[in-house]
Amino acid sequence: MFNGIEKNTPDSNIIIGAGPAGLTAGYELSKLGQKSTILEADKLVGGISRTVNYNGYRFDIGGHRFFSKVPYVNELWNEILDGQFLERSRLSRIHYHNHFFDYPLKISNALVGLGPVESFLVGLSYAKSKFSPTDEEKTFEQWISNRFGTRLFNIFFKNYTEKVWGIPCNEISADWAAQRIKNLSLSEAIRNAFVSNGTTKSGEKITSLIDKFHYPNLGPGMMWEACEGILNDFGSPTLKQQFVNRIFHKNGRVSHILTKNTRNEATEYSGSNFISTMPLKELIFSLDPAPPDEILKAAKLLRYRDYLTVVLMIDRPHVFPDNWIYIHTPEVKMGRIQNYKNWSPDMVPDSSKTSLGLEYFLWEKDEEWTWEDSRLIELGINECAALNLIQKNEVLEGTVVRMKKAYPVYDSNYHHCVELLRQYMGTFENLQTIGRNGLHRYNNQDHSMLTGVYAARNTEQLEYDVWAVNTEQEYHETDKATAKTGDRLVPTKIPEETPADGFNLEKKLKEQLKLIDSFAMGSAVGLVSGFLLFFATILLIIKSGQQNNPTLALLSNFLPGYKDTLPGALIGLFEVGIGSFSIAYLISSLMNWTFTLYLSIIKRNSEIEENKTILDKV
Amino acid sequence: MNEITHAVIRMKAGVLAFVFALLGGFSLFIMTVLLLLKGGQNVGYHLNLLSNFYWGYEVTWFGSIVGFFYGALTGWAIGWIIGVIYNFIVTSRNPQS
Ligand SMILES: Cc1cc2nc3c(=O)[nH]c(=O)nc-3n(C[C@H](O)[C@H](O)[C@H](O)COP(=O)(O)OP(=O)(O)OC[C@H]3O[C@@H](n4cnc5c(N)ncnc54)[C@H](O)[C@@H]3O)c2cc1C
Repeated sequence: MFNGIEKNTPDSNIIIGAGPAGLTAGYELSKLGQKSTILEADKLVGGISRTVNYNGYRFDIGGHRFFSKVPYVNELWNEILDGQFLERSRLSRIHYHNHFFDYPLKISNALVGLGPVESFLVGLSYAKSKFSPTDEEKTFEQWISNRFGTRLFNIFFKNYTEKVWGIPCNEISADWAAQRIKNLSLSEAIRNAFVSNGTTKSGEKITSLIDKFHYPNLGPGMMWEACEGILNDFGSPTLKQQFVNRIFHKNGRVSHILTKNTRNEATEYSGSNFISTMPLKELIFSLDPAPPDEILKAAKLLRYRDYLTVVLMIDRPHVFPDNWIYIHTPEVKMGRIQNYKNWSPDMVPDSSKTSLGLEYFLWEKDEEWTWEDSRLIELGINECAALNLIQKNEVLEGTVVRMKKAYPVYDSNYHHCVELLRQYMGTFENLQTIGRNGLHRYNNQDHSMLTGVYAARNTEQLEYDVWAVNTEQEYHETDKATAKTGDRLVPTKIPEETPADGFNLEKKLKEQLKLIDSFAMGSAVGLVSGFLLFFATILLIIKSGQQNNPTLALLSNFLPGYKDTLPGALIGLFEVGIGSFSIAYLISSLMNWTFTLYLSIIKRNSEIEENKTILDKV
Repeated sequence: MNEITHAVIRMKAGVLAFVFALLGGFSLFIMTVLLLLKGGQNVGYHLNLLSNFYWGYEVTWFGSIVGFFYGALTGWAIGWIIGVIYNFIVTSRNPQS
């Protein structure tokens, strides 16, 4: 029974969660002239895209690059922050056994770093992969090994992927890696083969996520704090430490929700539109009355990978020049190290100090998750020292931030479960679930925000499908959004008895590589030339009424047996027909061959380029 | 070589006819003009034989214009017929595509 405070909000929109999706929904609603109340469980806004401030040291949950292909999102970012973005050059190398390797991978640099013996072995294993690749390419391990050799796979792919995902590479489907080259544009690849000055068709300089990105000088949280401020001024407050734990509904409409604060006090909020960014699983379990068993079961099966970062403050102005380092060295548990000062100098209060964010990817059930902060900080210090990045005595202090449900997991169940939940959620008239965990989709900020924009517009009776965001590729192909895909690559288990899908590039090449049918071309040219000579000869015979007309007679020099007589014309038809057939057949085959060879080279180069940057998507 | 699957190209008979028409027209025009510029006795003896098929054509300045039209007409017809026959054969060889 409810005994707490009752709040009848003056406005009718209630938004659950003040992460990018929730705040953007509020922002878009404000543009539509509607007020809202945003309820946030935490004491900070920004969700996973928050910036934590610890004694003046600021840090993200990971590092958040601002990059979007959605023009409206770029517009919103610039509007909210009034263009206060830094453009940063990216440097992120790979650390493996006390060596730094360039990223994107460069073979020459890799070989120098590995030393002569290892390089020789890498060369042998590469040669083996080329001369006798594994026939089966079902697993991520097989896919990469066939392209780079087993040794390079072990060094540059295995450890990091397994650290991030906690799944052995021989249990991850090859589709995962193959997806990398799925969305390549062949026309871009061809263009790049000719034009290498790094410009787009319209002549703009290409700023790819690989080498440059935008970043607010005080971290991503700056964006979301600014958004919270704008909304507050508009009359749409964000109420913090309000954990939504009950959502009451009747006849397909939510009537009100219940929150509890840190003192366990309950508050009731009523409204007529509800937008939730809380994890889909939790949303389903907060519904009152509870959904049918089948839906509860599906929600229960959704899994998440958790994340924690140990931040160390170091008494040194420069530790390393990278924005972050991928840690492939298998002896340490951390997966990546962020150097926040290199994202923005304003992330540290004192330029003679550095703050490092050591990233650990875990399951909530892993024992490290439950470790005391001091033990985690000690682990971090020991690991950094073991990697020769710092001296233990340079560490001034440390802190730990845990982020539950940082990554929605795409296991063998998730697709079916999310599909069921999506259908169930469709039965509510005034409750929409959006955002990364709200849709259980591996979205970046931009796509999470777009779902917020759509949800806001839907309150005006518009019909945007929030589930279709970030599935464009599939959406167009199937005319129907599915629960699949996201901004990043999420490994899935190997499908039973289904070979790895062909790449889309292959499909694209197939669409664009239309070859001449040499036989048809030969036949057409042969027939036309043969009959042309035949009719020309007949015409002459009819016209001059005499034979031995000199006009075509010279042709007998090349066509034995040809004369300007009827049998001669037939011989000419046959000979010219065969000759022209052969020439046309040969020319079209040659053209086809050249074209195919050229596209194969482009395809190979594109694959190599894409594979070099595969860690970006992990 | 990395094998790549492909589709078979279909010709647009009209486009092929147009290209052949341009080629035919300009070839005969240029050949006639070149012979005229070269000059000498018995200008364009061999090319003149085309008048057996192209009524009104001769190796003269006016003939070069007439030749352009005849060449274009012949080219057009050849291009178009090649296109039609080619497509017919491609369709009968790939009925489902
Ligand atoms: C390590 C890492 C690196 C990343 N790097 C990038 C990057 O470089 N660029 C990029 O664009 N994106 C990046 N992302 C993704 C980005 O963080 C997310 O896409 C984005 O934060 C999702 O926004 P959201 O609002 O959907 O969800 P969230 O950020 O999860 O926000 C949801 C909010 O809802 C609140 N909430 C949850 N349950 C309740 C409840 N019951 N009651 C009240 N409030 C609740 C939460 O406290 C949270 O504030 C990264 C993510 C991770 C994990």
